[in-house]
Amino acid sequence: MTSGLGAALAIAKKDIIIQLRKKFEAFSMFLFALIAVLAYSFALVSQGSIPADVGSAMLWVIIFFMGMFGFAPIFLSESETGTLRGLATAPIPAWAVYVGKVIYGFVLMGIVEVFLVPIISILFGFSFLNDIPLTVAVLVVGTLDLSAVGSMASALVMPSEAKATVFPLVYFPTATSGLILLIEITKIIVLGPGVVPIMLLFEILLAHLIAMLTLSASVFHFALSP
Amino acid sequence: MSAKAVVVRNLTRRYGYRVALKDISLDFSENGIQGLFGANGAGKTTLMRIISTLLRPHSGTISVMGFDPQEEPEEVKKYLGLVGDKTLLYDELSGIENLRFYSKLYGLHRDFFETQVEELSQRFAIKTWLEEPVKNLSTGLKKRLDIVRSLIHNPMLLLLDEPFSGLDKDTTEDFWDYLNEHRNTRTTIVTTHNLALGANLCDEFVTLRKGVVINQGPISQFDQTL
Repeated sequence: MTSGLGAALAIAKKDIIIQLRKKFEAFSMFLFALIAVLAYSFALVSQGSIPADVGSAMLWVIIFFMGMFGFAPIFLSESETGTLRGLATAPIPAWAVYVGKVIYGFVLMGIVEVFLVPIISILFGFSFLNDIPLTVAVLVVGTLDLSAVGSMASALVMPSEAKATVFPLVYFPTATSGLILLIEITKIIVLGPGVVPIMLLFEILLAHLIAMLTLSASVFHFALSP
Repeated sequence: MSAKAVVVRNLTRRYGYRVALKDISLDFSENGIQGLFGANGAGKTTLMRIISTLLRPHSGTISVMGFDPQEEPEEVKKYLGLVGDKTLLYDELSGIENLRFYSKLYGLHRDFFETQVEELSQRFAIKTWLEEPVKNLSTGLKKRLDIVRSLIHNPMLLLLDEPFSGLDKDTTEDFWDYLNEHRNTRTTIVTTHNLALGANLCDEFVTLRKGVVINQGPISQFDQTL
């Protein structure tokens, strides 16, 4: 019997291969990001750049809404094609299916972010260079956090008839607390120290991720076998 | 008395107010081919889903290969092979990639996997199609590949839910021969509303009508008029 983590990696790898062949979600996400950046640039740029605090919010709002395109189909496509039964009847723990999807969501978002973050930095003249390791850590933890919430939201809306409509109703409220932390941390990285120590905010973000992952993984068997 | 692969006692399952299975009790013996007959809506698929851990009963008990599907789902899943009316294959992956993915979920050793692929792909005449993306295959070839997928880990309990729908005559006969050859070493439960086919294939039978067992026993006692 395979280990839970081995199965999770196999599921993530399978989804990444499928995505590289279909390219549908990645393309939609990239297109949305590009249009959003363009729209913001017309609305907010003055004297060659935008205010750094606005830029921090803009970056994460774009990533947050990009998740709509990336996370919603994570379980919906498996549910619609019937392949979810293959995962549900394999001798692997239910959490492995969830973790596999979180890893896939993270990689999918990561691929788009690799292009998005430098574009935003160059176009809007605000820099993450003040603290590169922390910037990378925030991007990794933040994207994982959104992926953890998005994957669970996608699983929760599976039984619903209006899946695409219901997804934002689950995803938005659960991801908002993480989003606020991410904006606040990024603002401090760009602007410099604020009232609240940055590491405290980062620890809260990390705790949020761990809570989301463990809570979702521990109840995920209900989503697989209602 | 022969050992039992599946033991169901006083099992009830509802969908909302509609009762799909009403206080049923039945046994499926170990090894041999067991038929689960009934018209559409009789409760066959619901029972198959409960056996395969995909659904939970509202009351009653069930034991599959000696394990409770609710308490020890992973133990039950180790023994299961599943073929339904819909295939559990990913369209964007090739046949061999699909099989490799499932082999990882089942934790199969590479040598065992390669032997199984060689033997089963030859047996079900899909060897030349294994490198082809599943989306390019005809319905019949997809079904053959799905049968190979369900057998790749050599399951001791094979659940076939309307397995012959969409199969051409040759594939039906090949599959039938295969099931016959393994009659003494594997328990196969087949649901079908094709009673003539079921009566020829099965050793024992259970007939459901509107969620209630109306007849069960050796196939010699089977009455198609019920």
